[in-house]
Amino acid sequence: MVQTRKLKDGSRQVILNGNQYDGITKILSELATKTKASAILFADMSGQLISQRGNTENMNTTVLSALAASDFAATSEMAKLVGEEAKFKLLFHEGEKRNVYLSNVGDNFFLVVVFDVSVTLGLIRIYTKKAIEDLANTLEDDSGTEEENQQIIDSDFSSLLGDALDDTFK
Amino acid sequence: MFINWALQEINLKIVYYGPGMSGKTTNLEYIHSKLDPSLTGELVSLKTKEDRTIFFDFMQIEVGRIKGKKPKFNLYTVPGQVYYASSRKVILNGVDGIVFVADSQPHRMEANIETLLDLESNLKADGHTLENFPWVIQYNKRDLPGADPVDVLQKKLNFFNVPHYEGVAVKGDGVFNTLKGTINLVVQHVQNQL
Repeated sequence: MVQTRKLKDGSRQVILNGNQYDGITKILSELATKTKASAILFADMSGQLISQRGNTENMNTTVLSALAASDFAATSEMAKLVGEEAKFKLLFHEGEKRNVYLSNVGDNFFLVVVFDVSVTLGLIRIYTKKAIEDLANTLEDDSGTEEENQQIIDSDFSSLLGDALDDTFK
Repeated sequence: MFINWALQEINLKIVYYGPGMSGKTTNLEYIHSKLDPSLTGELVSLKTKEDRTIFFDFMQIEVGRIKGKKPKFNLYTVPGQVYYASSRKVILNGVDGIVFVADSQPHRMEANIETLLDLESNLKADGHTLENFPWVIQYNKRDLPGADPVDVLQKKLNFFNVPHYEGVAVKGDGVFNTLKGTINLVVQHVQNQL
């Protein structure tokens, strides 16, 4: 499982290990090949982009992830208002040239598939469903987690970061 | 906080919170205008026609590699108006640190307090408390005639004695100090908890 540490104040720390990241990237690559999607993003519900595949050079995927997470958040509030007890599982935006298909992966992650209108929605749905199952399994797999026990932020890091901030914010 | 070992990335989410028109978006706009474009992404603002934030503003900043790790800071603002309560709640998802931008004008004191209580209840829903969570206050609009003195603001708003900064966000005064102070506080906090 993706390691989620709960800090004393209730903050959540999500840690993805190398195996999980490689697994996720492989699944996204396969999905991109099978569906001919223009771009595929995997992110967490706080808006954090984790991995991307496809033609993303001219796309601001950091912002796209933040917006997509908000899209999910807004529609889950909408779900409550209309009496739907669970969250909406998928969101679909239809354009003239491009469509966007968003689907959750468990409670904490989601997948964004951007594709040309020439690609049929049915094809996207079938392959995305399979990819979501694979992603869920990859996130469960916790082999290769020993590195997680390293101290990520030590006092050295804090003081160097302080210097870097002074430098950046001159 | 989101850590990706494969990419050696450490991602922190910092949210600017505060009543309507207190200067949250202005803080982000100043940061965006002053930082080297290679360190900052696009500033996205979801605004109404009247230029009020309807959902949030977002930008990401980087400071290069530190001990091989790449820290990234995701800055968000929330809409200040009372009726956007559910937007504020969802933007707090996964938050690591908060800048509370207070309006120094006496007639906005009630709005400051109301928003602080709203923040507290949203944090509680997520398992945090104002007492334990890393947050700072920026007293903004210090240049306006009639602004409340800082000690008055301190007494009324800073009951947990968190770090506070004076700001004139439209001119950029205090903006970087506030952000730097917040990041340092968050990092210290994480370090203490490991």
